Amino acid sequence: MKLAAGRITIQTETMKPNKLFIPFAAIIFLGSAVFASNLLKTPSEVIPIIKEDIKVVDLSSDEAFHKMMDVLTHQRCVNCHPNDNIPKQGEDRHPHRFGITRSNSAGMAATNCNTCHQDSNNNNSGVPGAPEWSLAPPEMQWEGLDRYEIAASMKDRSKNGNRSLEDLMHHLTEHELVLWAWEPGVDAEGNPRELPPVSKEEYIAAVKEWIEAGAKIPAKN
Amino acid sequence: MKVTFTINGESKTVETDGDNPLLWVIRDTLDLKGTKFGCGKAACGACTIHVDGEAVRSCSFAAKYAEGKNITTIEGLGNKDNPHPVQQAWIEEIVPQCGYCQPGFMMATAAMLSKNPNPTDEDIDKKIINVCRCGTYYRMRKAIKKAAELTTNSPINS
Amino acid sequence: MAEKKKLSRRKFIVRTLLGGTGVLLGATYLGRNTLRRGFYDLMDDPSMLTYMGDTENPVIWFQISNDNVVTLHSPKVEMGQGTFTGMAQMAADELEIDVDNIQVVHAATSTGNIDQMSTGGSTSIAGFWQPLRELSATMREMIKIEGAKKLELDVSQVKATNGTVSGGGKTLTYGEVVDGVTEWEIPDVPALKDPNDYKYVGKPVPRVDLVDKVVGAPIFGMDGEFPNMLFGAVARPSKIGAKFISADTSKAQGMPGVVKIVEEVDFVGVVAKSMIEAENAKNAISVKWNTDKSWETEDIENLIQVGNGNDMIIQKEGSSGWESDAKEVDQFYSAEYSSPIGAHAQIEPNGAVAIVENDTATLMISTQVVKITRSEVAKRLGLDEEQVNIVPTFLGGGFGRRLHTPHAVQVAVMSKAVNAPVKCFFNRKEEFQNDTFRPPTHHVMKAQVNDEGVITALQHDFASGDVAIDSALVPGFAHTIVGTDIGAIRGGQIQYRNIENVRAISWHVELPFATSWWRSLGLLANTFAIESFMDELAIKKDKDPIQMRLDYIQNDEAGKRLRKVIEVAREKGGYANTANGNRAMGFAASTDAGTPCAHVVEVLVENNEIKVEKVTCVIDPGFAVNPDQVKAQCEGSIIMGMSASLYEKMYVEKSELRPTIYGPYKMALMRHAPKEINVEIINGTGTPGAVGEPPLGPIAAAIANAVFRITGKRLRQMPLSLA
Repeated sequence: MKLAAGRITIQTETMKPNKLFIPFAAIIFLGSAVFASNLLKTPSEVIPIIKEDIKVVDLSSDEAFHKMMDVLTHQRCVNCHPNDNIPKQGEDRHPHRFGITRSNSAGMAATNCNTCHQDSNNNNSGVPGAPEWSLAPPEMQWEGLDRYEIAASMKDRSKNGNRSLEDLMHHLTEHELVLWAWEPGVDAEGNPRELPPVSKEEYIAAVKEWIEAGAKIPAKN
Repeated sequence: MKVTFTINGESKTVETDGDNPLLWVIRDTLDLKGTKFGCGKAACGACTIHVDGEAVRSCSFAAKYAEGKNITTIEGLGNKDNPHPVQQAWIEEIVPQCGYCQPGFMMATAAMLSKNPNPTDEDIDKKIINVCRCGTYYRMRKAIKKAAELTTNSPINS
Repeated sequence: MAEKKKLSRRKFIVRTLLGGTGVLLGATYLGRNTLRRGFYDLMDDPSMLTYMGDTENPVIWFQISNDNVVTLHSPKVEMGQGTFTGMAQMAADELEIDVDNIQVVHAATSTGNIDQMSTGGSTSIAGFWQPLRELSATMREMIKIEGAKKLELDVSQVKATNGTVSGGGKTLTYGEVVDGVTEWEIPDVPALKDPNDYKYVGKPVPRVDLVDKVVGAPIFGMDGEFPNMLFGAVARPSKIGAKFISADTSKAQGMPGVVKIVEEVDFVGVVAKSMIEAENAKNAISVKWNTDKSWETEDIENLIQVGNGNDMIIQKEGSSGWESDAKEVDQFYSAEYSSPIGAHAQIEPNGAVAIVENDTATLMISTQVVKITRSEVAKRLGLDEEQVNIVPTFLGGGFGRRLHTPHAVQVAVMSKAVNAPVKCFFNRKEEFQNDTFRPPTHHVMKAQVNDEGVITALQHDFASGDVAIDSALVPGFAHTIVGTDIGAIRGGQIQYRNIENVRAISWHVELPFATSWWRSLGLLANTFAIESFMDELAIKKDKDPIQMRLDYIQNDEAGKRLRKVIEVAREKGGYANTANGNRAMGFAASTDAGTPCAHVVEVLVENNEIKVEKVTCVIDPGFAVNPDQVKAQCEGSIIMGMSASLYEKMYVEKSELRPTIYGPYKMALMRHAPKEINVEIINGTGTPGAVGEPPLGPIAAAIANAVFRITGKRLRQMPLSLA
């Protein structure tokens, strides 16, 4: 249709809705062939299992540091170490839906973390879970920090829950909530969450190596 | 597996796959239909119940975790003759429209009031995050405040 | 049949109730044939599109038990809109019985009381205003006649009050009167009471379903149950246009709890012993779907453009055209607006509970189309319609989503296949991807203004996907007769008819996925365009936006009512035309289905976030049968409309409609809802009209108009966003 030519117009640009945003980064996992029936898979079907034996090789402290930090800077870890008291979700680290903030922390009835998150992943709902599911304490803000700053923060007893290096080593290598990163389950559509870029065994070895070598933070390049 | 728990004051033992959402055990095995299925993804809150006094979304709560717990559903919160202060407030403010989401909201509200008897508007905004499509939020807020008043004289035990 | 007088328009029958504890009273009320009148009348007279009953056979309306409870079988469903309460009020007043003694239930189709239409269009109370009161008054007289006989008095010597018939110092309850009566005299319809004498009508009576809904009673479709019931799940497509081809069910066979895989030509489903087992087995089925092409959001946006599809002028006033008559001094303005795909997102998923046995089928279902559902099930099972009983339940939200419920057929087929009752519901992803969405729209507004600043011409061109067209509800030939989509054009006409030349042109575009009725139909988006543009013109011409509207409202009956709601809204809302820091007011008004409504909203903008703090809503529904529920509908419409205006948006990616869950599909939550909503009701005609949808109309425009005053930014796309 031809529109009357306006001599004065308020608005000349063509109206188009905004570019779409992608609420689930995880949709990149959506297989294209079968798309009707992937809602409720069991973890063994959908989570890649690392079968080959990992050979623990001696790493230099710096190499160990970087391997460890490749994990600790991953969204699986940083999503719950926010700098604004708002937990993040998904591979795109979007703010937790429904306006969840630290005020919804465990112990605060209706509604808190454990209203939805239990001691293990729920493969029916796609809600992740692990023991003590919660935000890291406010002083453990990692979001927005680089790997060197995160490491410094981890070593700082005023920011690490007053942990010695040995305590830290145990926490980083044994705590179930930390190790959940390698068993992150499936999302609401049954698609597996992204794993950290380093296997659990390599990561644990790297943490131990780094701490045993004195937990030295390399100089920034 | 066998799971034993207390629900609305009664001890029950059910035979179920441990990973079954507790929601379906409540609705289909125990025939308590007041707990609603809305999304199955812990997003809408229609299935909210209390587990040891805490609000829990039962669609995302595996039945195995109910072992030994004390569970309350809307049917156990109160009844027609003896409504819980939250239900009483909901009646006085004539809150429900379609009504489907309302049990979940009332359970979330009761859980909130048990920890925070006098919630501010900000508390309500942050803690009551269920979804209502009819748009009854305006009356719900009034009812929550009324429930808080009613609760002052009758402490919540659930 | 106990008829003594032949009634011209209605008949009553009486049947003894099973067990002899009371009576069922039936009646027919002649449905009005909508097609005999112009379709446009429907927009002004909502009662026209409300109810078409059986005109040949008596059907059941009332049942009276010995304990004096009157059960009213409603052919309309209760989805939150409060219809049951309004009906109880009307019946109680004319029956002369306490409203607490009235129980309203959904009429199963076996009662014969079947609405040939649907529940929708905000018409239930309006449509039943006359017939239900007449039926109730007639029945009261019948009870008086029988009561007089039992008291051995003349009917003129007895009176009916508070559920009793009394005279000569003796009193019988209605329950006592009807006990044992098998022959009834049917009087002429008596005169109805003066509305001023009503005890319940016009009063804020609490909802009749209030307590059930507060204690969690099992009243919804999803709560339905038959003994020894099994659970079904049906594989549903996630992609636009996907057609079922075949399924590999090998993995699902033998999974825990699986009773049977049901594979039909058009779908595959699983019946299992529990809901979760059915769901798990369904997800193990690999379905081959046929999809013809791949779609993205951009493709849909390119389709929904004014200029595409079939156009039709739906409003033309004034003799002259635009350009031909233009003078040199005239100024032209234009602006474009758009709205996105919207989901119903009702919380109770769709589904049904069915039992098919011995050539009969019974289904419990949340549906807005009882009659159509029965027809579809009967056809698929090869049964007569009378062999199928549809038992409607309370709806966990309707909003138009349940104006076609063909999934009932699948559940019935699965029940027949396993020879047992089956319950089957959609999961949430299936709901979001198989919705019958609110269609996206695109609008072009144009105005011609003379050198005195008078708007001499206003035109609204709007493109929309199907609303009424292609829906089960409207016969296929209807839109051929009308020439356009009667749903999409709701609110599309310009209500400022004192403007010399007005035009509204609808452009109907076919989309590759189902779009249909969504609460208020085209009203929200159409009003967004028209009322935003009026505001833009007022600002451009430096006029008060409310006064400018008033200047162009015609002086007929409809115009006077619209003028009144606008004036009252201005006053009650304390409208101010300028921002106060990061707060400002916005105004908009619309008329829908004969009901004018105006909103003054107070908006706060903080960190680019738009927050609606207060809404003053003035509505003239003609007459409020229940003022409290009229207010509830206004509050709900405002919040649902606000949610659609500010947050909601579906998009298309690789042919999938997304998001598929609440949260990513952002909707208004407690923290977004206005903390203050003041509703003012004007009873402008004395006869009830539409309520459930009209207050949705002005909300988007009112918000956008306020945002402009705060930020200077004119938001012309829904959802409105400053980010």
